Amino acid sequence: MEQLTEILASGDYAAFVGLFTGLTRYLFPLLALLILVRCARSLLAFQTEPELWAYLVSEQARLPVTHWENTIGSAGSCDIQLPDEQAARLHGVLTRYDDGSWTIAPVGSAQIQCNQQPVDRMEELHDGDLLTMGQTDLLFELLTPVEQQAARMQRTRAGRDVSPGLTLLLLTVFQVFTAMQLMMVKESAAALPIAVSFAALCGMMWGLFVLMRLIRRHAFEVETIAFFLSTIGLAVIASDDPSDLSKQVIAIAMGLVVFLFLGWALRDLNRARAVRYLAAAAGVALLAFNLLFGKEINGAKNWIYIGPFSFQPSELVKICFILAGASTMDRLVARRNLWLFIAYTGVCCGCLALMNDFGTALIFFTAFVVIALLRSGSFATIALVCAGTGLAGGLAVSFRPYALRRFASWRHVWDDALDGGYQQTRALMCLASGGLFGLGVGNGWLKYVAASDTDLVFAFVAEEWGLLVAVMMMLFVVLLAAFAARAASVSRSSFYAISACAAMSMLLVGAIFNVFGTVDYLPLTGVTFPFVSNGGSSMISAWGLLAFVKGADTRRGASFAIRDPARHRKGAAA
Amino acid sequence: MRHVSRRAAVVLLLAGLVLAGLLVFLIQYVFQAKSWAAFPGSPHVYRGNNLTAGTVTDRGGELLLRSDESGRSYAADETLRKATLHLLGDRYGYIPSNVLSDHAADMIGFDLVQGLYHSSSGTMQLSLSAAANTTAYQQLAGRHGCVAVYNYRTGEILCLVSAPSYDPDNMPDIEGDSSGQYDGVYVNRPVAGTYTPGSIFKLVTAAAALEQLDDLDTRTFYCGGVTEIGGKPVHCLNVHGSITFREALAKSCNVVFGQLAAELGADTINGYAAALGITQSLSFDGLRTAAGSMQADDSDPWELAWAGIGQSTDLINPVQYMTLMGAIANGGQAALPYLVAEIPGQYQAETTMLPAALSQQTADRLAELMINNVQTVYGSWNFPSVTVGAKSGTAEQDPGRLANATFAGFMQDENYPLAFVAVVEHAGSGSEVCIPIISAVLQVCIQQLAQP
Repeated sequence: MEQLTEILASGDYAAFVGLFTGLTRYLFPLLALLILVRCARSLLAFQTEPELWAYLVSEQARLPVTHWENTIGSAGSCDIQLPDEQAARLHGVLTRYDDGSWTIAPVGSAQIQCNQQPVDRMEELHDGDLLTMGQTDLLFELLTPVEQQAARMQRTRAGRDVSPGLTLLLLTVFQVFTAMQLMMVKESAAALPIAVSFAALCGMMWGLFVLMRLIRRHAFEVETIAFFLSTIGLAVIASDDPSDLSKQVIAIAMGLVVFLFLGWALRDLNRARAVRYLAAAAGVALLAFNLLFGKEINGAKNWIYIGPFSFQPSELVKICFILAGASTMDRLVARRNLWLFIAYTGVCCGCLALMNDFGTALIFFTAFVVIALLRSGSFATIALVCAGTGLAGGLAVSFRPYALRRFASWRHVWDDALDGGYQQTRALMCLASGGLFGLGVGNGWLKYVAASDTDLVFAFVAEEWGLLVAVMMMLFVVLLAAFAARAASVSRSSFYAISACAAMSMLLVGAIFNVFGTVDYLPLTGVTFPFVSNGGSSMISAWGLLAFVKGADTRRGASFAIRDPARHRKGAAA
Repeated sequence: MRHVSRRAAVVLLLAGLVLAGLLVFLIQYVFQAKSWAAFPGSPHVYRGNNLTAGTVTDRGGELLLRSDESGRSYAADETLRKATLHLLGDRYGYIPSNVLSDHAADMIGFDLVQGLYHSSSGTMQLSLSAAANTTAYQQLAGRHGCVAVYNYRTGEILCLVSAPSYDPDNMPDIEGDSSGQYDGVYVNRPVAGTYTPGSIFKLVTAAAALEQLDDLDTRTFYCGGVTEIGGKPVHCLNVHGSITFREALAKSCNVVFGQLAAELGADTINGYAAALGITQSLSFDGLRTAAGSMQADDSDPWELAWAGIGQSTDLINPVQYMTLMGAIANGGQAALPYLVAEIPGQYQAETTMLPAALSQQTADRLAELMINNVQTVYGSWNFPSVTVGAKSGTAEQDPGRLANATFAGFMQDENYPLAFVAVVEHAGSGSEVCIPIISAVLQVCIQQLAQP
């Protein structure tokens, strides 16, 4: 304090900036940690209370129906387990639709009778219908609206234990200090763009928060994480090249639009299913268009220029890919279509390989593996596909030897520090120079290295913000992934579970290739870190992928991408 | 649904990969961050080729180099700048500053928690004596070559000079020079150079003879000025007549050592050269000595004889040979040289003993013979009040040019355990050229060591 009054009295601006930086170095990791812990408590500590939709009543028991898609059979892995030796291990699928109607469908050669009549392929179910599977009679009993409301209210409301508003307030403090720090350190001409862009980011954040409150959605952790990472990304750009700020803010705004639109689209499962084929076609079309008209930047032909605008179609194809890959249970049990999806993946990855965008191809491939595993559960099929892909990849590399160039200095960058390993060695030097608390936001040197605000952003953040914040940046993504995996178990449809897991794995693999490429554990493939790396297309796609996570979040009053059936029905009745 | 949701754990697997990778990286950070931050070119502590943090002084605290954000400033004295250039490097990286780079991590004030936020500039105190280096450079008097002196008990290097050199504050036009005065100017000769040793190599042949030939002391040789080995003549500089082994070493008789080499055989000579470390490199303080070479071959006894005399294809490295002199003086084992004595608070030099090169008995015999050389041939008056053992050499190189003068030896003194080597290129007789140089440098070194 004495030091501060002394500095203020002397009017030594440089000394004041030094003191301010000295304080924010410790403040930023502390705030980041608080935000991380609050989000983690909320996202990981929630009880996975299932929703309740109906009962199947037998002589022995009253079996709750807790999903929109329920497998019925004697196997332990079924959602509704029948203690009946006559029933098949996987006997039937009970499905609810957006309009509140239900169907029952037998699996394979299993026999189901509905009100004594055999069910051929699928039969609509009504309250009070009697189902017979094996030797078991089951009475289908829908919850009345009153019961439904009562069951709903028994579940924990999202955001009850950890107030999302307070977390957001912490993030706002974080943003204000970040903007102030940057305005002091950067040249005076950059002060206005920095102030405006951070204010815009903060405004969008609170605007979204208020919007969610208005539609009575109380969970905001997933969005908070995205905004936190976006804040760091914006600060990286402010430090590197303030003239890029407006572009990034616009990209965040567009990302929010995509996020809201996609989340809205996901509310209606029939609608989401309907756009699958459209999305699949659009994905291939985008890639084909990219191949034909793409421009080569840094060896990868993955850019499209339309007038003054440029974008990377492959980023948007990620969303199409997930829509194309996700599937509902009735399709899954029939075990169809995986080969079609394999072919689709082959086309997508092939196009990306032709563009030399191997990093993105790997992200698609990982998402494919996750989707295929969730859909089939068959490790054998996936192992076969992986082997085939490895072979194809090997062939591709042997036909395109220059693709190997970027692997040339991999794992020995220090031996080639001035040439092939230049980026990674500078990144590690700067990362180490930053220590745990950084050299101060805006004070880094790595900005002078090519692609430092995209490919090397982990080291960029470590140099300026410190290793603690850089590591927490990773932990935020890990936290989202852990939440998606947990939420998948109570999601309404396998469509949501699969798409959330696939979207998260895309974000995770992006982070893995970005960070571990920077520190030379993996080849540097030019993959972006979600929300942080400078890049409009990747920002938009990251927000889009996040919508799928919201689609799986069935906590009460949590997600705008989940329709509240009780409220919906009331509205319909009125 | 349970079918699908159970498999969602695959996402946790990916998340686990991230955590595992981060953990491995954090462990690596703990062990390697310092060397990353200090790696040559690290932007916060290097400007171009030069470390921006650090002061280098000699053993007495005399400033040799100060580097900071604004660049490098060298010693005030021009001769001292020239005499230490090959250790400190120049501003442009023509001569690298390996000593500083090697200790950069200790100079920049890095710590794992704060990184370089509180980076400071360290002070590196060399074991070197500025006065000894200046004297040696002056004694070389414009001739090319090198001088090195070190304490064979502790490893401290007191003098390490390479000539030609130039003033880093006033760089000459080296590219445009055709006089030859800057030939090989960028090479740190005592460390990175190798030379044909000439007769100083007879010490290696002598060590082999002392251990392998039982009747050596009772033998009497005859030198008629020339002898025929392998059908070709081996000439001696004098006609020594009837001569003992002891006299043959003192008088550097080619006839006797040619015959001894032929008698011992190529394997023995090569074996001793290897055992004495001639063919190996030494590494200290970022410096790595060039390995010498010894490839005697039995198929040509005449070449073998010359190899035993230190001609033929023999090559030695001056600093390595200096450690061999230390081993002879010190009962067979000498310390590894070092140049950086201390970086206060960060680094303190420690004495590392090299593997024993000789048995105590052989070392003592050789030491006694070398002291005899000084007493009977070179003249003790050159080295007043101390006991010196030495061997000179005159390495014939290019026909028509003067030979390289070589001289190596030691002081056997409790207070001044020093070993030395000098090579002066194209200068003539080893003893005539080198003794005044070494004598002057040793006097300065003794004064330095005598100071508290």
